[in-house]
Amino acid sequence: MREPGTLRLFKRGPSIEVRLVLLLVLCLGLIVTDAHWPVLGPVRSALATVLYPFQRIVLAPRDALEYFDRWSHAAALARDEQDALRRQRIEMAQLSTHAAQLATENEQLRRLLNVAESAAQQSVAVEVFYVPPNAFNHRLVFNKGSQAGIAPGMPVIDEGGVVGQIVRVTPFTSEAALLIDDQVSIPVQVLRNGLRLIAFGSNEVGKLEVRYLSTSVDVRTGDVLVTSGIGGLFPAGLPVGRVERVERDPGSGFAMAIAEPLSHPERYRHFLVLRVDVADVPRPEEIEHALDQQ
Amino acid sequence: MPSTNNRRPGGASLLKLQPVDTGAFQGAAPGWLVWGSLILVWLASLLPWRLWQPTPDVLLLALLYWCLNAPARVGLTTAFVFGLLMDVQDAGLLGLHALCYVLAAYGVLWLSHRLRHFNAWWQTVQVLPVLVVACMLSNLLGAWLNGAWEGWEWLWSALFTGVLWPLPEILMSLHPRRQGGDGAGP
Repeated sequence: MREPGTLRLFKRGPSIEVRLVLLLVLCLGLIVTDAHWPVLGPVRSALATVLYPFQRIVLAPRDALEYFDRWSHAAALARDEQDALRRQRIEMAQLSTHAAQLATENEQLRRLLNVAESAAQQSVAVEVFYVPPNAFNHRLVFNKGSQAGIAPGMPVIDEGGVVGQIVRVTPFTSEAALLIDDQVSIPVQVLRNGLRLIAFGSNEVGKLEVRYLSTSVDVRTGDVLVTSGIGGLFPAGLPVGRVERVERDPGSGFAMAIAEPLSHPERYRHFLVLRVDVADVPRPEEIEHALDQQ
Repeated sequence: MPSTNNRRPGGASLLKLQPVDTGAFQGAAPGWLVWGSLILVWLASLLPWRLWQPTPDVLLLALLYWCLNAPARVGLTTAFVFGLLMDVQDAGLLGLHALCYVLAAYGVLWLSHRLRHFNAWWQTVQVLPVLVVACMLSNLLGAWLNGAWEGWEWLWSALFTGVLWPLPEILMSLHPRRQGGDGAGP
């Protein structure tokens, strides 16, 4: 039997059962709302802004340790990196001359066709702030947010290709869903034959799925999938994955390709967020609305 | 801060008249200790060590411990607020952690009269089902809304959390002002 520390003669406030029911209703309301509508964004953003300084403080020792570690190995790291870069440069030399040649040719052709010259993509370099421990999704939280011009929908890339897509933004942090998260779908193209498809996160951990293919579709093991540029968010030509196997199900008449992502978000801490013009891309609701009006 | 007194008011009228904070004589925890430990454990929960899914939820453990031992300060509302903060940290559905914490806190408050008759080890046996049920409900709801079952790691997490139940008891018994046990021991 405990009573509160202050002198209190009578019980005040609602009973514990009433509070339980109120809080449970609140919890369930929040969960269901958050699962179906994006209206809780401001609440989450506000809470995340409150959390941010604490996260910084708590993670400061880790960052300091990492900094010290890098600093103490600076010479060795620089040498390794230099070797790798030298190797890469030799490998790239031929490709880059070829690419330069193609670029000029492409520019010329575009001018001929009167197509607007594609502007160089603006981008923001970000670093992983922390990995949210969540069994239900595959996310990364980066150390820059709307202050740095990041907005939901922007693609995230690393040197291997597309890593994922920004899904939530707070003033100082941003959250990206990885390609393997089942909330992300990305318009792709088979590099070999130009076939346009859509890749989804897979039920199999760490893989991508290309679903609803007809069984006769020309996709083979080893095919590279790149972004097709359709939909407007992902610029065309970024590597996405390599097809690992194609599962044909004669029963349903559909086939499914399982692909392995070419990016490696688990290996690196630094990524690039491409600042595509998110506002220009029509939202699914708008498209539906337009279709309805027709 | 509303009281979390569970006594039915229908009994002896004297029961209503207990203005004296009997807790102070039993070595009730001071506010700085309760909130300090909660905030410390919460800060620890922001660290990446929880990436391994079966990690025990020490924040939940601390919340439940204080629900039992300082019900005047820590109750359902506190559990809800900390749960919401964890939801934002984990980038999950808002309210899933809060639901689990509120349910577990209610379970412990509901059992609190009973729990005080047992020592920490026997309390563990009774708190375990509360933890498992609370975590199960929130995980089932999460799995349903996310459309995917993410395995049984949460069960390990709940069990590990339960097994750690005597830990705060042991830590608190080291506190010099509380040698008389903290009201929970025999």
